[in-house]
Amino acid sequence: MRRSSVKEAQTANAIQPVEATNNRCLSILPTDIRFYTGAVLEVNGLGKRFDDRWIFRGLSFSLSVGDKLVVRGRNGAGKSTLLKVLAHLLMPSEGSLEGPPGDPRLNLSLSALDQALYPHLTVREHLILASDLRGCPARTEELLVRIGLVEAGDRFAALLSTGMRSRLRLALAIQPEPALLLLDEPGASLDEDGRTLVASICDEQGQRGCLILATNDPEERRLANLELNLVD
Amino acid sequence: MFQKEAQSELRARTGIITVGLLSLCTVVALTLAVFNMQISGNLAAGLLWSAILFASVPALPRTFLAEEELGTGDLLRQWARPHSVYWGKVLYNAVQGVVTGVVLSALFLGFIGMHVAIPWLFALSLFGGCVALAGTVTLCGALVARASNRAALAGAVSVPLLLPLIAIGVSSMRVSLGSGFYTQGVMATIGLYGYAIFTLAIAPWVFASVWKN
Repeated sequence: MRRSSVKEAQTANAIQPVEATNNRCLSILPTDIRFYTGAVLEVNGLGKRFDDRWIFRGLSFSLSVGDKLVVRGRNGAGKSTLLKVLAHLLMPSEGSLEGPPGDPRLNLSLSALDQALYPHLTVREHLILASDLRGCPARTEELLVRIGLVEAGDRFAALLSTGMRSRLRLALAIQPEPALLLLDEPGASLDEDGRTLVASICDEQGQRGCLILATNDPEERRLANLELNLVD
Repeated sequence: MFQKEAQSELRARTGIITVGLLSLCTVVALTLAVFNMQISGNLAAGLLWSAILFASVPALPRTFLAEEELGTGDLLRQWARPHSVYWGKVLYNAVQGVVTGVVLSALFLGFIGMHVAIPWLFALSLFGGCVALAGTVTLCGALVARASNRAALAGAVSVPLLLPLIAIGVSSMRVSLGSGFYTQGVMATIGLYGYAIFTLAIAPWVFASVWKN
């Protein structure tokens, strides 16, 4: 069950520091004024460190239906690590993380550039395996058409190009129609059509749930209405 | 999950080839060592268990280790419940373990000309032993898969779990091969199944607690 909440209106283009940390400052830059209900994600004082090095610390924000947050920052700033923590693939070192509500297999999806695929399974078999394990409709043919891999449906993942693998990752991420979609550099290896596909997925996700996009690409940043800058 | 494991293995054939080659080498070595000798059921049971362990232990934990080496573990963490992952992999490993055990036993007993005194007990012992071995080794693989020093850790984790299994398995099998008392063999076989059930019952919970962390 989604908890209802109303987020306060924030003035456009006003930088609002969230919390200062020992070596990093995190800020949220709203680029749109929005009212909504339905909290999808609440993050309180989140921090992650590897050994003695803090990747990020003191991160607090909440996202609701319709929010599209872009996370930016220089290489090594912790964008991908943050997405993995939000996807419950890494344990946070401090702070708490709530959401999305319900079964995370269905309501939470991550598509990341470094996400490996099964080399000896075909594109179609990936989609069927994911749907079987998640317990959601496979929508195989529909997704193959959507991502433009109809002709490569029976090709092994090991034989796909980098761009095709990115498209397959996107299809796997949107398959369960999640409440929270996390995309890490989604357009990095995609052609013009692929970037259009990413834009349509982001638009669709904004209507269905919320989106977090880790990127430094100016075009992709325009797809979001909230911005989180990870800075030293 | 089982279907995915079987499909991947049949296409890559890494595990099958590893098990096949190790099985063949072990059987040939043991056969040459005891060639033209009349060996007791005690020794034959020990040798057969050594062969099964040598052939299976390197291959069975690969189902989990391969996920981490390929980097696909995160996909499963996103898609599946821990219990589904564990049961799918342990079922695949049990099938592979039983097939390996049957082929190895047939080759070994055939080459050395050993007579099975109590066939039904031998079959039960072999089946229970291979399933218990698959459950134990799969759990060990799952526990160490994400560790950086997984090779050293695998030994430390698996030895305490494998030693009791080997002891019970050899006790059960030697009676079926004509050494020891019948009641001892039956009790050992019951113990073997108890160990298998215990391992398979507790392993999913242990696995679930480490899978996401």
